[in-house]
Amino acid sequence: MKILAMPTRRWLFFILFCVAFLLATFFGDVSRVIAQQGNARQKLVMVTSADYPPYEFRDTASGKGDIIGFDVDIAKYITNQLGYDLEIKDTDFSGIIPALQSGRADFAMAGMTPTEERKKNVDFSDIYYEAKNTIVTRKGSNLKTPEDLAGKKVGVQLGSTQEKTAKEFKNVQLVALNKTGDLVQEVKARRIDAAVIEDTIARGFIANNPDLQFTTIPSKPEEAGSAIAFPKNSRLVNDFNRVLAEMKQSGEIERLIKKWFENQGKTAPATSSNVLPFAKIAPRIPFILQGILVTLQFTAISLFCGFIWGTILSLFKISSNKFLFWFGTVYTSIFRGTPLLLQIALVYYATPQLTGYNIPALLAGVITFTLNSGAYVSETIRAGILAIDKGQREAALSLGIPYRPMMADIILPQAFKNILPALVNETIALLKDSSLVSVIGVTDLLRRAQIVGAEQYIYFEPLLFAGAIYYVMVMVLTWSGYVIERRLQRSS
Amino acid sequence: MLSNEDYNAAVKVENLHKDFGQLKVLQGISTNIKHGEVVAIIGPSGSGKSTFLRCMNLLEMPTAGKIYIQGADITAPKTDIMKVRQNIGMVFQHFHLFPHMTVLKNVMYAPVKVKKVTKETARREGMELLEKVGLSQKANAYPAQLSGGQKQRVAIARSLAMKPDIMLFDEPTSALDPEMVNEVLEVMKDLTKTGITMAIVTHEMGFAREVANRILFLDQGQLAEDSPPREFFSNPKCDRAKQFLEKML
Repeated sequence: MKILAMPTRRWLFFILFCVAFLLATFFGDVSRVIAQQGNARQKLVMVTSADYPPYEFRDTASGKGDIIGFDVDIAKYITNQLGYDLEIKDTDFSGIIPALQSGRADFAMAGMTPTEERKKNVDFSDIYYEAKNTIVTRKGSNLKTPEDLAGKKVGVQLGSTQEKTAKEFKNVQLVALNKTGDLVQEVKARRIDAAVIEDTIARGFIANNPDLQFTTIPSKPEEAGSAIAFPKNSRLVNDFNRVLAEMKQSGEIERLIKKWFENQGKTAPATSSNVLPFAKIAPRIPFILQGILVTLQFTAISLFCGFIWGTILSLFKISSNKFLFWFGTVYTSIFRGTPLLLQIALVYYATPQLTGYNIPALLAGVITFTLNSGAYVSETIRAGILAIDKGQREAALSLGIPYRPMMADIILPQAFKNILPALVNETIALLKDSSLVSVIGVTDLLRRAQIVGAEQYIYFEPLLFAGAIYYVMVMVLTWSGYVIERRLQRSS
Repeated sequence: MLSNEDYNAAVKVENLHKDFGQLKVLQGISTNIKHGEVVAIIGPSGSGKSTFLRCMNLLEMPTAGKIYIQGADITAPKTDIMKVRQNIGMVFQHFHLFPHMTVLKNVMYAPVKVKKVTKETARREGMELLEKVGLSQKANAYPAQLSGGQKQRVAIARSLAMKPDIMLFDEPTSALDPEMVNEVLEVMKDLTKTGITMAIVTHEMGFAREVANRILFLDQGQLAEDSPPREFFSNPKCDRAKQFLEKML
């Protein structure tokens, strides 16, 4: 390996170059987002949860993964009629209302039903499509009506209207999960007895999972109708309603219903064998693989920034300055003492509300991971510094070397060498934890696997595939860490 | 007021005290070291020799008392101690070379970083120093590849690279295998001929007798005897020095 023969300094340049490159591509993305925000007058941002075919899902077949579906077609039609451009943002379903409230999006379409509770937080358009709820069970089950479900475990999507509907069933033990795909999987795994799912969605899952069946249950229109959500007092509501009315009259809505709902489930024929149907995801593999770049880019930038921040923090913590010491200590305890998932959600949703800056998901992720990883790394580095023989410090002092060059050239290089294995560990943890950004809609490796799963109505295969990729990446990291360690040991 | 003689002193120590918590390590030491003088500090272990030496460049902060280096009170609060230390070299028992730098880098680092000497100059002077301590052929080796004696010689060269007026040696041969002691002592002996002021904490009595102008004998944190070597070794004044010498010789 030629690259390994480089002297330390050139290594540093090489690493810096890689980071600079990643930063450039990353901030290129960000600046593009900012640039787009500049001419926001002509553009409306729609937020959705693109894991709900046929309403909205990723077109993984094309490789680009554009968000398509029934809702998307309606949104395109309306915004076009009103003279706007349309930008679509993807997030978790439970993140849709926060996105509207924080001004991150102008409207939301996600097969959303205008419940009383939601109306307290957002405004709704007229209903554009009425779906029905169904009970999905394993084949041969006789759970067909809400009454049958008494005493049973019933799954619903967290924050969905089905959750609210099912709450009114008598004696039902509710299990709320994040994604419809999770519900189906839970039914198959016999962990729950049934799931309440909208009929259009259920149809797709049944077609692809021959061991399941569904029964439509009667429902009130306001329980299963879909409407467009807006931030409170949005001026867009009337315009949207006007175009919706036109669409109903002209038969445009009817045409779209035919287009999206009548072919439901036929795109991906079910396999009758019990073997995991990896063949189904084969055409989607390029789409999933693109997530590797996002994951690596994200991990590398977070690692680099977190490492620098962690170094500064560690110096705070061994400082004789009381303020810096306490800052470093309290900071570390907060970031290590709260879940990373919570930190991501806070940074992503709170930043627009507090500062008015509509922080892009990837940037929010990088900032959170930098702050979090800095806390962990600082402890490692602190231990590394304290492990250096105090004679090194005394030798530097006796030569009259000031604090900064002493730390930068004498103490820290030795500390880093000692803690390299721990840093490799931190890198591995970061790489895997990066999958958490999928909750705020960053299309990283895991998110892409989930998207393919949602679109194909399957569960394990894309996840196993993504898992294998993560594993390979971690193995490469481990090996590189080992090689670097060997190289560094040569000098001692 | 400082007398003329005080200004002539490289190091002047006045009633120096140092406590470590309850432990009183130094209990009122006063002495002068003249420019160009070579002073050997000897005494039983625990007598405070190393602490005394380490106070002279403030690696230990005195609890009470004053230390003047070339007439300047370094215990005064406004002293730029970094500046003072640049003029006082120190050699440690355990060398403390920077393990991640080559021998030459160890020697060059402080002049370049602290004194802003150009790299070319620092390299040239560094090589000259390595030549002097007989290690120019090891310039590109790492400390881990050297023997103990070689390491200590590099450490001496590293200190000399800052061109100090005063050199402190803290038991420079105590961590060495016996066969390596001499090579280090030879280098130090050469150094005494350059007129540099030296304070040496040592257990090498023969060496002390041969090269030192004065012996400072410390016992229980006090300066028990201060005499020329011939007098000290042939006819020590105090009983504790006698007992110590009986054990050592």
